[in-house]
Amino acid sequence: MVGRTVAREPPMTDAVRNLYADFIRTFGNILFAVSLFVVWGILTLIGVIVDQGKAPSAYYAAYAAPVARAILRLDFNNVYHSWWYVGIIALILTSLAVCTFKRVIPARLPALRPVKIDAIPLHATIDVAAPIERVRESVERFFAQRGFLVRNREFGGVEWSFADKQNWARRGVLVAHLGFVIIAAGTTLYWAFGFSGVTAILTGQTVTIPRSGATIHLDRFRYRIDPIATKTGIVYQPIDYVSHVTASGKDGIAHPYVIRVNHPINIDGTNYYQSSYGFAVRFTLLHNGRVASLSQPLYAGDTLKIPGTSRSIEFLRFVPTMDPQTKMPSPDPRIGNPAVALSLVQNGTNEGAALVLMHRTVDVGDGWSVRPERYLMFTGIQYRYDPGVGLVGIGAFILLVGLIISFYFLPARFYVRVDPHGEGATVGLAATTVKGYDIFAEEFGSLVERLRTSLQSGG
Amino acid sequence: MIHGMPIDEILLVIAIASYIIGALALFGFFLSRVPFLRNLGATLAILGAVAQFAQLVARYEISHIWPLLNLYGSLSLFSAMSVAIFVIFAFRYRLWFAGGFVLALAAMFLTYGVTWNEGIMPPVPSLQSYWAKVHVPIVVTSYAAFLVSFVLSALYLVRFYVERRRGAAMMLSASVEPAAAGAGAATATIAGPNDGVSGWLASLPSLPQLDVLVYRSVAVGLPLLTLGIITGAMWAKEAWGAYWQWDPKETAALFSWIIYAAYMHLHTRNHWRGMRTSWVSVIGFISIIFCYLGVNIWISGLHSYKV
Repeated sequence: MVGRTVAREPPMTDAVRNLYADFIRTFGNILFAVSLFVVWGILTLIGVIVDQGKAPSAYYAAYAAPVARAILRLDFNNVYHSWWYVGIIALILTSLAVCTFKRVIPARLPALRPVKIDAIPLHATIDVAAPIERVRESVERFFAQRGFLVRNREFGGVEWSFADKQNWARRGVLVAHLGFVIIAAGTTLYWAFGFSGVTAILTGQTVTIPRSGATIHLDRFRYRIDPIATKTGIVYQPIDYVSHVTASGKDGIAHPYVIRVNHPINIDGTNYYQSSYGFAVRFTLLHNGRVASLSQPLYAGDTLKIPGTSRSIEFLRFVPTMDPQTKMPSPDPRIGNPAVALSLVQNGTNEGAALVLMHRTVDVGDGWSVRPERYLMFTGIQYRYDPGVGLVGIGAFILLVGLIISFYFLPARFYVRVDPHGEGATVGLAATTVKGYDIFAEEFGSLVERLRTSLQSGG
Repeated sequence: MIHGMPIDEILLVIAIASYIIGALALFGFFLSRVPFLRNLGATLAILGAVAQFAQLVARYEISHIWPLLNLYGSLSLFSAMSVAIFVIFAFRYRLWFAGGFVLALAAMFLTYGVTWNEGIMPPVPSLQSYWAKVHVPIVVTSYAAFLVSFVLSALYLVRFYVERRRGAAMMLSASVEPAAAGAGAATATIAGPNDGVSGWLASLPSLPQLDVLVYRSVAVGLPLLTLGIITGAMWAKEAWGAYWQWDPKETAALFSWIIYAAYMHLHTRNHWRGMRTSWVSVIGFISIIFCYLGVNIWISGLHSYKV
């Protein structure tokens, strides 16, 4: 027995090749892509239903304990920035890339090859009593006059004509996919190099924006809220928020600017937006009726420590108008009879809350008292540097163009063969499209009828 | 003003009345195929849509405030565009049989919108933008196109399930006939091919034709929804500083977009085209209603503009 040497590749190579084939087969499968869409959709919906970015206590307050625990453990309180949400988008992009190279690009220009006409649902035959060459020319002319690209090929001695319509539109899906990839690239640019944040600037205060280095001085903030009579009562409708600022960028030259909602300013490529406003309050701390200190401006949520005690005062919120009759906050958000909501905290425990009018003193024990002395308006300015925004815009536009091409243009191919039939010829026609047969059935029937009329009238 | 009633309210009453009577006429046509009912329904559909567009213009003329910035205004446009898109489809594809459903839904949404009418209010600062004149009509028109696709999908499914049930019944009839010959009981409860339901089914477009019509209406809605999300992102960038903030409205719109993108992908598969894609279209419209009304009303966020 003579031994034979069989060339075998190392098993590892086979394993890698099989793995690669499995990967391509899975990620190139449209149903797999749709499954990813479904998962993406469900996760997105969870983010809509479950409030995002709240403190854990908010979830325990809103849901039963096991549900709240599940929300927190599964990161459902921060869905859109969780690793698995980003992961699912990465899987979709991978699937999109594989589908593009495996399905979309190869399908773009399908090979010219003969088909079994009867096996295609859209098919017809036309018998014509005319010489075969004339029929062939007439058929070609018929399709060419209607904007079809006609190409002839011979297979096994039989001449086939292939008439393509809107073949360019086969690129629609490719264009849409490309748009999606460009959007992803733009978003990645922001993640890599962009930044954003919010800063509060008190009237008269100057703030340096981290990373951009710009300085912004708030000269004045004003707002307008109008009481509007509606069918169900008075509604206090915000009309305008305006920050008058003096800002300087890298050149160090100060310029006056006006920032209002829908009208951001741009300094050295970073945009600054009017995002919110509010009131900070300075408190006077008194001991035995004498002024002990004047606090820095406190924002809602800040605390003021009472010296020598385990107590502190938490500034809950500023109340623009306290109703003098009910002693409760008025729904009118305009400054009228201003007050502050305070709570007394001892050893981390809330000991009670009170609404205190401005310039009124409230006793907090052990000879100490607190007086809200002065309120200051602040403006909330959001800043954002996003180097990817242009790319996202281009990607979105390309995605839209791709969708329009895919939806509104129908690439279709007619397969035509003309065979001799007695003294004349038989024209066999079949048509395929990228969107199935039903969508083209009406047009196919109409074209066939017109071709029949044309051929039988000697056209 | 007529007898103290402002012109916009008169036009609103005309629109609602036209939709209700038009819906009844087209339901009548749906069941009877009497051409007069179709003509009456079509005329009332057009009258109602024209009255609604005129009402929106009148409201703008009276207040000088863009009328689509609250739920009442946008629901008005939604119902008007639903009818307008349907009328265009009906003329192009002879769809009047579905008009009763579209008009009934339009009347329902318009009436619901009226309950949110709080009178004329100036817009909040974030809505004071030229983008309001671009973004809102585009998005609302996409919702309207999806309403039409929802009605057509529902009709597809009705026809599909009725046909399947009747097909199964016919097969059962064929299989029991030899054994139960003469008994009559097995076949007596199964409707024959020439009863009223068959005639009604035969007057509808075929299932493949209905599927193509659903596809064509989604083809109007999805690019518009995409454009709406894009213009919304551009507006958001101008108003709030970021083109995407994962606001509930944005993400709900993304959710709907994902569903219709899935529809589009599934529609390329022969085995998924038809019943399954019609279900996807129905789910898509439910998601649209959630995005449109559910998020505005139940979930607080940057888009909570009700009145």
